[in-house]
Amino acid sequence: MFAYLLASGLTLGALYALAAVGLVIVVKATSVVNLAQGEMFMFGGFFGFLFHVQLGLPYVPSLLLAVAAAFLMGGVVYRAAFRPLMKSGLVSVLLASIAISFILKGVARAIWGGVGDYVPFPPMFSGPPVQLGGVIVLPQQLVVLASSLALLIGFASFFRFTETGKWMQAMADNAKAATLVGIPIDRLQHLTFALSAGAAGAAAVLMAPLTQLYPDIGFGIFVKAFAGAALGGLSSLPGAVLGGFLVGLIESFVAGYVGSKYQDVSAFVVIMFALLFLPRGIMGGAAMRKI
Amino acid sequence: MTRFSRLAVVPLLLSMSLPFATAAHAETGVTDTTVRIGQLGALTGPGYFTGKLVMDGADIVYKEVNKAGGVNGRKVEMVRQDDRCDPAAAIGAAKKLIFDDKVFIIHGGGCSNASIGAFPEIKESKVPWVIFASVADSLTSPTTPDIFTTALTASIESASQLEFALSKGAKRIAIISTRDAWGRARYEALMEDFKKKGIAPVADEEIGAEANDATPQALRLQQAKADAVLLVTFPKAGAALLRDAAKIGYKPILIGTTAMGDLPVLAKQVGSPGALDSMYAISHVRYMPEDKEMADWRRLFTQYYPGETMSIYHLLGIASAQVVVEALNQAGKDLTRASFVKAMDKIDFKSTIYPGAIACTVTDHQCHKHAAFVQLVDGRISTVATTSLAK
Repeated sequence: MFAYLLASGLTLGALYALAAVGLVIVVKATSVVNLAQGEMFMFGGFFGFLFHVQLGLPYVPSLLLAVAAAFLMGGVVYRAAFRPLMKSGLVSVLLASIAISFILKGVARAIWGGVGDYVPFPPMFSGPPVQLGGVIVLPQQLVVLASSLALLIGFASFFRFTETGKWMQAMADNAKAATLVGIPIDRLQHLTFALSAGAAGAAAVLMAPLTQLYPDIGFGIFVKAFAGAALGGLSSLPGAVLGGFLVGLIESFVAGYVGSKYQDVSAFVVIMFALLFLPRGIMGGAAMRKI
Repeated sequence: MTRFSRLAVVPLLLSMSLPFATAAHAETGVTDTTVRIGQLGALTGPGYFTGKLVMDGADIVYKEVNKAGGVNGRKVEMVRQDDRCDPAAAIGAAKKLIFDDKVFIIHGGGCSNASIGAFPEIKESKVPWVIFASVADSLTSPTTPDIFTTALTASIESASQLEFALSKGAKRIAIISTRDAWGRARYEALMEDFKKKGIAPVADEEIGAEANDATPQALRLQQAKADAVLLVTFPKAGAALLRDAAKIGYKPILIGTTAMGDLPVLAKQVGSPGALDSMYAISHVRYMPEDKEMADWRRLFTQYYPGETMSIYHLLGIASAQVVVEALNQAGKDLTRASFVKAMDKIDFKSTIYPGAIACTVTDHQCHKHAAFVQLVDGRISTVATTSLAK
C-alpha cells in the first residue's frame, strides 16, 4: 500500500508543484497572488485538447503548441488586465485576477463546454499499466513525473543561468533597486505572467489524461497549488516545488491511512498549518526586519 | 356609422366571439379542442440534456397523438420554459407557466436542484406536475396530492443498487460516495437499506466529486475485500476509481447510479482497457435508442428531428409522455385538474420503454420502481437485468 500511495502522491505532487511554480514566479515578480492561475491551467489544457483531439496532432507537438498558446495568453492577459492596474494597488490587481478567472471560465464554457461533461483527453501512451518494482503505475503517471521534473529543471536553469532569469531574480529581490540599475521591470513582469501561464499550460496537458478537462477544473488546482506554495514559501521556487510534492503526498497518505473522507480537506489543513506555524513557508527564509 | 359599416360589424363581432366560444371550458389550460401542457426544464446550459432532450422526446408522443386526433378530441399544445438547471431561474420559469401561459399541467423537471427551487411555487398553485427526470426524493416524499414522478427517485435507485449487488451473489458489499447534497441523500437512503437488510457495508469510503486520483480509495476497498462496490458518485470521480482499481488489479462488481449511465463515455474517461468489465449502472429505461425494439421511435425521431442523434434522454421523454397521455385519456372528456389527478392516482401503465409498469397510488406518487441495469457489451450499452421494488 505504501508504495502505491507514494507513486500516486508523487504524480499528484508533480502537478501541484508545476502549478505552484507558476503561482510563485508571479508573486516574486509582482507581489500578487494571481487568483486566475487555475483558469490559466484550465485554458492551457483546452489548448492541448484543441491541438491533440480536435485537430488530431500528435501528443508532443500538441503539448508544445499548448504551452506556446498559454504563454501568449498569459502575455495578453497581463497587458490587457494586470498592467493597467499595477499601480492602482494590491486590491485592484486581486480583483482583476478574479475577473479574469471568471472571463476565462466563461469563454471555455462557450467554446468547449455546454453539455456538462468532462472531456476525456487521450494519454501520450495508451496501454495497460506497467510494473515498476512492486508497484503498478499508469504509463501517463511516468510521463507526468518525468516531464514535470524536466520542466522544473528547465525553470531552475533559466533562473540560474540566463540573463533574463537573473534579472527576474533581481526584480523579485528588490524591484526598486532593479529599476535603478536599468532592469526593464515592465518587460520582465510581462514575461513572468507569460511564463507562469506557459507552466500552467504544460502542467494541464500533462495531467489532462489523468484529470480530464472541464471549465471548472481551475479552482481545485489553484487551491492545491496555493497550499503547496504556502507550505514551501510563496517567494521561493524550490519551496514551491517541495510544497507541491508535499501536498500531493499528504493528500495521498492521509486518504490511504487516515481515511478517504480527509483527502480533500488535507490541502486546507496544510494552508492553515503554513499560515499559523510557517508564515514564510519551509524555504521562504527568515522574516526580514525593517529598519 | 353608415348602414354598410353597421352590417360589417356583425360578422366581425361574430368572428371575434368564435374563439371565446370554443375556449369556453371551466378549467385553466383546457378548451373543447385543446389542452395546454407546460414543459419545465433546462433548455440551455450544461443541464440541457435532462430538459430539452427529454422535452423533445415527449413532443414526439404529443405530436403523434395530435396527428391521430388528440386525446378525447383535444389537441395537445406544448409550451416550454427554461429553468437553466438553476433554482432561481426555475421559480421564474414555473411562475411563467402557471400565470402567463396558464397551463393545465406541468410535465417537466430535469435537474433536481432546479425542481426543488420550483417546488413551493408549483405546490401552492395546485397545478398538477408530472416530473419526468428529477430524482430528488423530497419532490414526492412526503406525497403532495398534485405532484407525481415517472423518474426513478434517488432512494429507489439506492435500494436497487443494493438489491442488484445481492442478486449477483455479493457477500461483502462496500460503498464509495460523494457527500454533497446529491450524494448524501442517496448515501443516507442506502445506509437505511443496509440496515433493513440486516447487513453492514464492509467499507464506507468517500470521494470528492472532482477527484483526480482514487488510488487510496481503491486500495482501502481492496483491503476490505469488498466483492461489490456501490458507487454513489459522479462520472468524473467514478472514472478515477475505475481506472485506479484496474491499475492495482482490483476487480469487484461495480454498481453505479443513473449518473454513470453513459458507459461508452465513461469508458473513454477511464482510458484503461477492461476497466469496465464488471461495471453496471442503473438506467431509467429498459432499452437503448439503437435497440431493435425502439425502431419505430427511432423512425419518428428522425422524422421530427432530422440530423440529430437520438439519446436515452429522448426515450425518457417519450416514456413519460405516454404516461401523461394515458392519464389524460383516463381523465375523460370532462377534463379537469381534479380528474387528471384522480387518473394519475390510480394509473398502472404498462410501458414498453420503462423496465416495468408506472403505477401510482393515492399515498405513493413515486410511480417508477423498476430499475434496469446496463453494462457495456462490445462497446454498446445493453440491459442485462432489471430489479423491482414494487410491492
